[in-house]
Amino acid sequence: MLSKLSKKCFPKSLWVYHCNSGACNGCDIEILNVLTPYYDVERFGIKLVGSPRHADVMLLSGAVTRPTLPLVKRAYEAIPAPKLVFGIGSCATGGGCWFDTYNVTGGADKAIPVDYFIPGCPTKPEAIIYGVALALGLVDKKASPIELKQMEFPIDSYEMNKAWEERNVIYQLIKD
Amino acid sequence: MDIVYSLINVVIFILFAPLFEGVVRKLTARVQSRQGPPVIQPYFDILKLLGKTRINSADNWPFKLAPVMALASIVAVVFIIPFGFRQNFASRYVDIITVVYLLTLGGVSVLLGALSSKNTFAMIGASREMVTMIMVEPVLAMTLILGAVKFKSLALQSAMFNVTGFGYSVSIILMLVVYLLALQAFVGKQPFDISEAEIELLEGPFIEYSGPNYALFKYYMMIKQMFYAFLFVSVFIPFVETGFYFADIVIQLAEILLVFVVIALVGSTNPRFRIDQAVKYYAVMIFLSMCAVGLSVRGF
Amino acid sequence: MWLTSKIKQVLMVLKPGVVTLKYPFVPRPAPENFRGAPYWDHTKCIGCGGCSNHCPARTIMVRDICQEIRVMLYDGSRCTYCGRCADVCPEDAIEMTKNYELATGDKNDITETMELFMLTCQRCGRCYEMETSNAIDKMDLRGYRYDNLETRTVIRKTTDQFDTSVLRETAQYKRPEKI
Repeated sequence: MLSKLSKKCFPKSLWVYHCNSGACNGCDIEILNVLTPYYDVERFGIKLVGSPRHADVMLLSGAVTRPTLPLVKRAYEAIPAPKLVFGIGSCATGGGCWFDTYNVTGGADKAIPVDYFIPGCPTKPEAIIYGVALALGLVDKKASPIELKQMEFPIDSYEMNKAWEERNVIYQLIKD
Repeated sequence: MDIVYSLINVVIFILFAPLFEGVVRKLTARVQSRQGPPVIQPYFDILKLLGKTRINSADNWPFKLAPVMALASIVAVVFIIPFGFRQNFASRYVDIITVVYLLTLGGVSVLLGALSSKNTFAMIGASREMVTMIMVEPVLAMTLILGAVKFKSLALQSAMFNVTGFGYSVSIILMLVVYLLALQAFVGKQPFDISEAEIELLEGPFIEYSGPNYALFKYYMMIKQMFYAFLFVSVFIPFVETGFYFADIVIQLAEILLVFVVIALVGSTNPRFRIDQAVKYYAVMIFLSMCAVGLSVRGF
Repeated sequence: MWLTSKIKQVLMVLKPGVVTLKYPFVPRPAPENFRGAPYWDHTKCIGCGGCSNHCPARTIMVRDICQEIRVMLYDGSRCTYCGRCADVCPEDAIEMTKNYELATGDKNDITETMELFMLTCQRCGRCYEMETSNAIDKMDLRGYRYDNLETRTVIRKTTDQFDTSVLRETAQYKRPEKI
């Protein structure tokens, strides 16, 4: 019974540990912005803690560089289950511009299993709050793959538009 | 009948302590112009912490014993205090020295947990917590001794409730001011939250605790806060006493809420002191409290 | 004296009140000139590949699956939203929208695929007159491109005529192992 109650209370109070694995600090400053009065994220019950042993969620920013790879894994293992990982910024989502350089592992999901990606360079604080609200189940997901197919020639659509114009001109003349 | 009063004490303290902590957090947020968490947030925090897996990062018996000992000591203190002006089961056997010892036992268990964590940050946090405990204890003892000197007895009832029976004399007013100025260090909030400095020391002595152990420590801190607020209310403002037990409880809880509002306002507008600045501030407080006891011995 | 300044500090807070935005429950538009996710207008795109050549994170892949159809894939996982693709597009087909709500659990959700029908030259199949005056042609790339779409790799291997052996070989391209 206590474990069911704990599971229900888990989304209402998430404690966050911030880990920077070789980022330029742009995304770190935006994470700090999210805790200021303007975009207050503490109204969802989220608190920033200093030790991974107290935390539930790890915020990872930065493309995981080679020296920080074992440290990120150790910090991930220090968090007690149940846990979530958020990858913030383009560097954590796929490695950014440096995804195949010599020093970079490229993206957070090559080091630890990631639950939510929040792209952006740097990520807008509203985008981080949107990602958090998505994880808590307060909003619906808006990103989806887009497929576009061009199946007619551009010259054909131009001529079709001209034909419609001429037709409307004739109707105008008939009405008058 | 007396044991029922003790059990009601324990139940009330366990139920209401997180609510007052939530009031403190919400008021701190409002002073900083933001919306803040809902008032019942600490209940969610503790329930969530109890549901996490337990990681024993240091595998020795003091590490596992420390949170349980802390919570047990503070619940023992709550069991024996006369809440609501009623003598209870343990009043025949205890006096004010027991209360001081049990409170110190709580602090010692925090130290035990911190020093057995095998972590450098925890060691620094533990040394600062030791200094805080040493400087706080004389003021606490002087507060309780004031009543004992007036009535020439060490019983709890006389030290806590009958101090102002003869009116507010000079020594009592001096002691009231000293207690208010020293209240922030008792409860561990700014400007004196040196040992649990969040960003400086990565949460100080509790750095290696996770999940259920940390929930027990957090509960210990919350009940300790509520106990100190109750001590202020019972020693210095006991003049509202109706005969009904439940009316007394409600009035005392409302007064404790006012003390918590003061704690929150002072805590959110002050920076954090360094350890040497805090010790100098406290030396003045200790001197003033000893003056107050000396005045009451002389009859003022 | 410090007491009155603290009391003044608390009273000063009463004027602005609570300034928190109610963001996830109330929509908040992005400011002017904000660069969100790029969006291709497939009716205007001519399939030149200029955006792919200029992307600093090599996020846009171009692959010719047969002589007439060119597939372009935008993989948003590495995009830094710099806007160079929109800047260099000769037809203004790329627009940096103001959409920043891109959080997702699956990296395939932020991709955009386009299939374009390429006109063939009446005489020779698919070659165009090589000018040397604009930036795109100065990169010395020939007509057909074979980037690998599954491993999201940009391979700058180009040929004059459509070549099925190169198509097959680049379909099995693997990135070099490191670490």
